[in-house]
Amino acid sequence: MSLVDRPFYSARPEWKDVEPLEQYENINPLAPILYTDEYKDATNYFRGVVRDGEKSERVLELTEHIIRLNPAHYSAWQYRYETLIALNSPLATELQLMDEIAVKHLKTYQVWHHRRLLLIQLRDPNPELKFIAQSLKADAKNYHTWSYRQWLLAYFNNDDLWSGELDFVDHMVNEDVRNNSAWHHRFFVVFQSGIRDSEKDRERVIKRELIYVKQSISLVPNNASAWNYLRGILDHNKLPYLTVQVFLEAYTLDTPPATGDIVDLENPPPSKEAQLPCPAAIELLADVHELQGAEGVGKAIDLWKSLRDIYDTIRKRYWDHRIKGASHREGV
Amino acid sequence: MLDAPLPPCSRLGHVGHAKRCLSGLPSAQVELDASTMAVVFYCIGTLDLLEMLEGKTSESDRQSWRDWVWEQQTHGPNGSGFRPSTYMTPQRSPNVQEDCTSYDGPHVIMSYTALLSLAILRDDFSQLDRPGLIKFLKSCQREDGSFSTVIGSGDTDLRTLYCAFAISSMLDDWSGINVDLALQFVAKCRTYEGGYGQSPNCEAQGGTTYISVASLYLAPGSPSTRLTPPERQKTIQWLVRNQLSSGGFTGRTNKEADACYCFWCGAALQILGARELVNVRGLGQFLSSCQFKYGGIAKVPGEHPDPYHTYLSLAALSMYPPEADPTWAFGPLDPLLNARVETSNWARAHIPAR
Repeated sequence: MSLVDRPFYSARPEWKDVEPLEQYENINPLAPILYTDEYKDATNYFRGVVRDGEKSERVLELTEHIIRLNPAHYSAWQYRYETLIALNSPLATELQLMDEIAVKHLKTYQVWHHRRLLLIQLRDPNPELKFIAQSLKADAKNYHTWSYRQWLLAYFNNDDLWSGELDFVDHMVNEDVRNNSAWHHRFFVVFQSGIRDSEKDRERVIKRELIYVKQSISLVPNNASAWNYLRGILDHNKLPYLTVQVFLEAYTLDTPPATGDIVDLENPPPSKEAQLPCPAAIELLADVHELQGAEGVGKAIDLWKSLRDIYDTIRKRYWDHRIKGASHREGV
Repeated sequence: MLDAPLPPCSRLGHVGHAKRCLSGLPSAQVELDASTMAVVFYCIGTLDLLEMLEGKTSESDRQSWRDWVWEQQTHGPNGSGFRPSTYMTPQRSPNVQEDCTSYDGPHVIMSYTALLSLAILRDDFSQLDRPGLIKFLKSCQREDGSFSTVIGSGDTDLRTLYCAFAISSMLDDWSGINVDLALQFVAKCRTYEGGYGQSPNCEAQGGTTYISVASLYLAPGSPSTRLTPPERQKTIQWLVRNQLSSGGFTGRTNKEADACYCFWCGAALQILGARELVNVRGLGQFLSSCQFKYGGIAKVPGEHPDPYHTYLSLAALSMYPPEADPTWAFGPLDPLLNARVETSNWARAHIPAR
């Protein structure tokens, strides 16, 4: 997988002053990689450069070459970064180069780590949001990409940076309502990253989020991400589960209830196409009941039995465990 | 579907896959160049879990493997540990013992996998530089409690922290770690879903949830003070929900099942004392369908196998052996260190200073 028809370093006069250092191998190397000649040649010169401590423009060329052949070569990344700093190289140019390399190697740790180092130096986080949105188009659930966005927001933490975040995450959820990374990001933005001025009225914020997630559930009820988000709001804000009981009940029935003209924003019913009943709703309703003493536990057990026997049989042992635990506690 | 009879475990096929990888990897795998030690651990570990190390390898092979692992122990001004391989080491006379350059130094994750590999090979650890290893861990811990993978790198996340914990536990010496600070970092990685992300603010993920739970239980002192009963309950709930109708586990909500998460989620459940909640039959069905016809286990059915998914699948099956099929029988596994119990006992008996 040679990148371009470029001669080996060993054939290039401008590298003549560097002594290439072959890799040390004992007689019986374990799990040796059958390197290509191109990789061998480049890494021989890299070991030579590192031994001499050379930090120069041509080292940037060499490390870029190695990184393109093996983006997980963390020593090449580390040495490259130190060289950039030593040469006082324009880091904005480096960042542009990384735009291209990152999209090719979205799943490599080093690509993102290097980017963080550059941003810490450049201190210009705002254009990054656009870059991240762009690379999420290639892989909307990429863990490194989302982590980088979370890091960027938390590290620089300026109001400008946060201002478009709810719209962004709304867009991502609309693209794919089952994208849990997007739901997680929403929780991070709303509840776990400090309270910004525009979000000071917490009662309003909590109400807004409850309506948001319930609306989403009403359109697509069988979506674990939304249910986890709903539970997250309740737990994080110490709201009693009882407050969602009315909302839940419609989702535990076999068919959507007949709806009147008045739409209750706090209790939106399942859409006509919804696949019912929804196991996640049954589970949460059982939790609601369980917290209401002996009589509730009886109802919870009936719901758990329906999950165990019909709606969620893969977790049979888990539902048995819940039934046993609650029966034991309440002496049912 | 989950009730269908299991195809047999192709034990010899998996042995063959592990041995082939130990003898060499194709150039397309060049991305493993800086993590060869981990590959070695997964391969030797596969032979260990299948209890075929003695039967299918010679003592001279095993001796040369020990020698190779020891050759990766490097000593620098900031301590000692193991490097991934000689990928940054220049050819030199083997007699010259020089200090490593800072680009050829020890790596926390590689040190963990090297110690386990040597324990599998029943090494006596007489060559281990224990004070150096403790010093190395100390130089890798950062102000926020996390650990960098190599000295001076900002590349930190929970994986490295777990490896530092596992090393300290094997050494039975925690003096290289500020445990409280590290546990504060773990707590910051917890999410509203009940799992743990790779760094603070990140999405809950099966691998990092295993790592967090294992770290909480490896650390000296009582784990119950670090996880309240409702927290424990919520983590169990999240882990259990990750088992999908195929029987396999996913690593994140609404993602596909992947063989490695059968280990990460299954082991976390076992550590939390909730092993009875796993659908063992389903897990066996899924993992058996990930077997590759020429040996090895892939992340999902139909893909190519690799040492990582092969080892972790067999480790998951060691905790949750499907009943009634002798080819799927394994010895017990220590979920905290991620090694066969006999291996982890060996590590704990021979790694601490005497």
